[in-house]
Amino acid sequence: MSKLFPKSANKLPLQIVIYLVLLAGIATAGVTYYMTPKYTRVGYAPVQPVPFSHAKHVQEVGLDCRYCHSNVDKSGHSNVPSAQTCMNCHSIIKPNSPLLAPIRESYANGTPVPWIWIHRTPDYAYFNHSVHVNRGVSCVECHGKVNEMDTVTHMQPLSMAFCLECHRNPEARLRQPADVFNLNSQRLADQGPAGVKKATDFVHDWKVKPPQSCSGCHR
Amino acid sequence: MKRKFEHPAPAPSEQLTGPKYWRSLDELAGTPGFKAQLEREFPEGADSIDGVDRRNFMKIMAASFALGGVGLAGCRRPEKYIMPYGKSVEGIIPGLPAYYATAMPLRKVAIPLLAETHQGRPTKVEGNPSYAPNGGAASLLAQASILDLYDPDRATAHTKGGAVLSRAQVDEMLAGISEKHVASQGAGLAFLAEESSSPTRRRLVGILRAKFPRAIWSEYEPVVDEAPVAAAQTAFGAALKPVYDFAKAKRIVSIDADFLQTEAGSLQYARGFSRGRRVTKKDDPMNRLYVAESRLSLTGSMADHRLRLASSHALAFVAKLASAVYPQAADVLIPYTQGLNVPQKWIDECAADLLAHRGAAVVLAGAHLPAEVHAVVYGINAALEAIGQTVRFVPAEATPGVSSLKALANALKAGSVKTLVVLGGNPVYNAPADLEWAGLQKSVAEVVRLGYYVDETSSANSAATTHLAAAHYLESWGDARTADGTIVPIQPMIQPLFGGLTEIEVLARLAGAKETDSYQLVSTTIAAIAGGGAEKTMARFLHDGLLSGSASPEVAVTFNSNAVRDSLGAATQVSVLGLNNLEVRFVTDAKMDDGRFANNGWLQECPDPITKISWDNAILVSPRLAKQLGIVPGGSLIQVARKEEAEFTMGKENAHVFELTVGGRKIRGPVHIQPGLANFTVVVPIGYGRTVVGHVGKGAGFNASSIRTSDAMHVAVGGKLTDTGTRSLLANTQEHWSMEGRDIIREANYEGANSYRENPGFVNTIGMESHTPSNLGAVGEKMTPADRASKLPRGNSLYQTPQFDGLHQWGMSIDLNTCIGCNACVVACQAENNIPIVGRDQVMRGREMHWIRIDRYYSTGDIDAEAFGGAGNNQLPGDSDDPTAPVQVSLQPMTCVHCELAPCETVCPVNATVHDEEGINTMAYNRCIGTRYCANNCPYKVRRFNFFDWNQRSLDSLYLGQLAEYGMPELVKMAKNPEVTVRMRGVMEKCTYCVQRIQKGKIQHKVKMAQAGTPGRVEVPDGTIKAACEQTCPVEAIVFGNLLDKESRVSKAKAREQDYAVLGYLNIRPRTTYSGKIRNPNPKMPDYQPLPMSRVEYDKKNVPPAHDAGHGQADPHGGEKKAEKKATSHGSLDTFMHFGGLS
Repeated sequence: MSKLFPKSANKLPLQIVIYLVLLAGIATAGVTYYMTPKYTRVGYAPVQPVPFSHAKHVQEVGLDCRYCHSNVDKSGHSNVPSAQTCMNCHSIIKPNSPLLAPIRESYANGTPVPWIWIHRTPDYAYFNHSVHVNRGVSCVECHGKVNEMDTVTHMQPLSMAFCLECHRNPEARLRQPADVFNLNSQRLADQGPAGVKKATDFVHDWKVKPPQSCSGCHR
Repeated sequence: MKRKFEHPAPAPSEQLTGPKYWRSLDELAGTPGFKAQLEREFPEGADSIDGVDRRNFMKIMAASFALGGVGLAGCRRPEKYIMPYGKSVEGIIPGLPAYYATAMPLRKVAIPLLAETHQGRPTKVEGNPSYAPNGGAASLLAQASILDLYDPDRATAHTKGGAVLSRAQVDEMLAGISEKHVASQGAGLAFLAEESSSPTRRRLVGILRAKFPRAIWSEYEPVVDEAPVAAAQTAFGAALKPVYDFAKAKRIVSIDADFLQTEAGSLQYARGFSRGRRVTKKDDPMNRLYVAESRLSLTGSMADHRLRLASSHALAFVAKLASAVYPQAADVLIPYTQGLNVPQKWIDECAADLLAHRGAAVVLAGAHLPAEVHAVVYGINAALEAIGQTVRFVPAEATPGVSSLKALANALKAGSVKTLVVLGGNPVYNAPADLEWAGLQKSVAEVVRLGYYVDETSSANSAATTHLAAAHYLESWGDARTADGTIVPIQPMIQPLFGGLTEIEVLARLAGAKETDSYQLVSTTIAAIAGGGAEKTMARFLHDGLLSGSASPEVAVTFNSNAVRDSLGAATQVSVLGLNNLEVRFVTDAKMDDGRFANNGWLQECPDPITKISWDNAILVSPRLAKQLGIVPGGSLIQVARKEEAEFTMGKENAHVFELTVGGRKIRGPVHIQPGLANFTVVVPIGYGRTVVGHVGKGAGFNASSIRTSDAMHVAVGGKLTDTGTRSLLANTQEHWSMEGRDIIREANYEGANSYRENPGFVNTIGMESHTPSNLGAVGEKMTPADRASKLPRGNSLYQTPQFDGLHQWGMSIDLNTCIGCNACVVACQAENNIPIVGRDQVMRGREMHWIRIDRYYSTGDIDAEAFGGAGNNQLPGDSDDPTAPVQVSLQPMTCVHCELAPCETVCPVNATVHDEEGINTMAYNRCIGTRYCANNCPYKVRRFNFFDWNQRSLDSLYLGQLAEYGMPELVKMAKNPEVTVRMRGVMEKCTYCVQRIQKGKIQHKVKMAQAGTPGRVEVPDGTIKAACEQTCPVEAIVFGNLLDKESRVSKAKAREQDYAVLGYLNIRPRTTYSGKIRNPNPKMPDYQPLPMSRVEYDKKNVPPAHDAGHGQADPHGGEKKAEKKATSHGSLDTFMHFGGLS
């Protein structure tokens, strides 16, 4: 009876183990690298029901963020405007544009426009807009230069590491309160030594102590 | 082949070699009970899966693990949408809750509330602080009532004989009834409604009666919570009811009246009582409460002197008390006291104490007691000059021309009723048994029922019954009166979810009124009462949440003693009660009320304040009766101090099932032995045993209404108990009844030797701390609470805790002296923090999830030191012929105390529980892997583990695991607080000090300051942030705040000398501390106890009699402490030695 397995088969178990270890290593490395928010979220730019261009509305029309996101400085949640807000202008400007049909429909019968949620934090993370924008953190820090975007794109990972980067070192990110909604403004820390001093004073005078423990964001 | 070694069993001699250490006498004894207990720190079953061993479990789960691997495909998160309003809604800011004034009506008293709504979805109610007498508190029932709104089992449609009726059909039907009866002036038309204080309903009933003068309008309540009007009618010649002012009362005598929990107006009475009870410094006065009662109520648990008195002896008792207070009346009253077994000295000294506080004393009787008792009590109050001071009389409003249920039943029997309209209530379930209501109702040709549930009454004869779905009060427009008569609005928070109707709308339609809209109806009523423009008045009314100045005016009264004397009837001997002639007392359940909350999971799961039984009622019997019935348990091996009252096997109360017979009617129920009851009174809570009820209420308890008769609704004599020989398990959350001489709750008397006034820092003379140097060290002892919280070094532990350098340091103080144990905090916390219910089966396994619980301990002082070494004390507490023998109750709210050096943190392998810089012991749910080490290491046992996915799986399919349906009903989702994570299976949770409220308060304050131009003032002012338990506490026992603010209420509370830390000697430095309990007994009373009973037990355990000479009996530790200061070395060595049991 001939041998069922050749002699080389003796090495097979070892080879299998080595390949498996290698494969597992690669898979682990891949997952750790590519499945982090840095890769899964940044660059996310879904197609919205209405192709709203922030660039046009901010740069050409000159709207402030708070015209539409009117409660961002009052509430934890930055509201997406109701169809009524859009219709303030669009009942006069481009009143018959087919692209605006969902807005007109929503305004007429109250059904919401299903905007796709882009900057989504996990349910167990409670981010609050009002406290950030009232205390020198500009929209641009998390959302990027939305004022220049035709299609809103996820610019930052918005991972816990990203939050902590700033919470551990708020001086580097703060702006003058007046500049918070000016997305082209410079951070205090980027304005030379005088700016750095201003940032340090800001942190001291305003008692900026961003929470670094769990209870700050998780409830 | 595998070789198997059989290890030989160790020889008996081997077991006993070497020194033998033992931690308690039972371990030494090696009793099987102790060994069983040793195995499990958590109750039996808390860590096992029912019927599935681990290996089997792995086998089954392997399949799901494999499936899990296949599902890796989608890495991108699922798409979610932001759905903005089409048209902006005024006043709504997405993400910020809005608060509206409303009120919860219950019988004749409404509780004014503020409802928190999130984008039109009410999630939580709080008391309305504009109504000063309640001061922003809400009751247990009010807190839980919001869950009913989202009950998936509520009636969702108007139906007739199973067919759904449209709204138009309903309107048509109601109009049809109106038209049909108008010709006959309403003959053949009958109404059965609940009691109500609504001015609008009163007005509509007036219109209805004008249109249908021959119709019957009757009202029925199975629960009575207001004094009978007949008493005032006799005593004062007018229809009046008493309103008490306990804040002014220095001496209070309560006869069977549970004015702190179940009587009408209990919320404001509790608040008033706590004002007179609270002692913050040495010179503060303190009220004294005498209670004579048959059951053990929460009011009785607060008593300084308590008499166990059968309810049927109440008249004899008040006659005796009245003759002592007002000797001129003795000739008339003494004949009524024959056969009463109450020491004369008790009565005389109590009366003397009352007389010494004329004008500041008050006597009150339970609403269920007969009118004669109340009339005599009014006489006592008149003699004590209490009327106008501590009690005032206001008009009692009854619906004009109202008739009783019995009168209606007679009309039904006569067959003269063609159309019966039942508004609310549930008479088929809870009408007196002798009326045989179900049969009567079936005999009526047409029944219209407005009900929140399709219950017993709606389904009694469904073919002839039209069921109208009622709206929840949070969906309705309406009005009501509070306990003092103030008119409050009932305002809807949300459109009726299922198109429910309000009672006033139904009435308006039946009356054929032009105006049928609930809002319009209320508006018309209010405008007529308040005057002025309807719109403006209504706006103000809704804004304030009350109509200012609408409280009932006080009526000046003179007591007519002759009329009262005539009303008493012939004097008879009090009935002799005994094993074959038991008194049966039907009591309102603190949670189910009259059965209307039977499908409310929060209330079902909330343990009874005294018995601690959840999900069931029980027949409560006294220890003496239990002995005679032969059901005294053999005694637990754990409780060395005394016998266990109820038998607990595997942590479940294994109760004997008895049959209770009264007047030929029988019910069966489990018997629970309850110390503190009158010897031959059997207490039966009503409101359980519903048969047509939703998923939650199914199978909860037995229906006591089936043995109630119309002439003995509250107290029946002639009961008999017979053993059925069966057992049933009760979900009792506290099997430990005694503190066993430990120092958990520290008590002192107000005056006398060793008292609070002698040594306000009495708490430091009790417990381990009195024997050892302070944990805080000499430096720490001198520090202020603020410095202790932030600057005190926290040892050189390997485990690093963060620096407490936050701008706030949170802390809590709980005043045990005012806590009445009402459990409102338990449910308020449940509503605020999305705490799930787990069901009876899981409560029996010790898996209840409440973040805050109220521990209840009994102490009778009759344990002896020998009990700890000898056979133990086999006496049952409260088993005595002496009705004054003390059974003292101590109540303690217990929740996470946020230790600064938290033992839970050091054992967590994944840092899921860590401190933040403001001193909160936080839980990061998404880090938790569920090892439960933290719960093991928590000395307070306040951590709760999600053994199952309580939120996503239904409670009857927990053990089906993945096979069970996943997901919460949409309606239940709406009840959740969006600010708090809904936890999943496998994570630990516990009190967070309401961290969501803290963060919201801090953020809103920061925003406000930044916008006001003072951005640096970020410290939150005191009182801005209130924990949910604190906010609803009717007696202000719980105080939460910033310890760094020296002026904050919590700093002041902690600076009191009676402030102590439970288990403080562990050096874990809890942030929640307690103020010691103070009792105020009268030294002249025959049952005066120079020390609180728990203190007596403590001394007996820790100070063996041999040491009396060295210690001094009266001052075992306090004296020592003083001595220590002089000669430290001797004092501490001495105490150390005897504490360790070495001497």
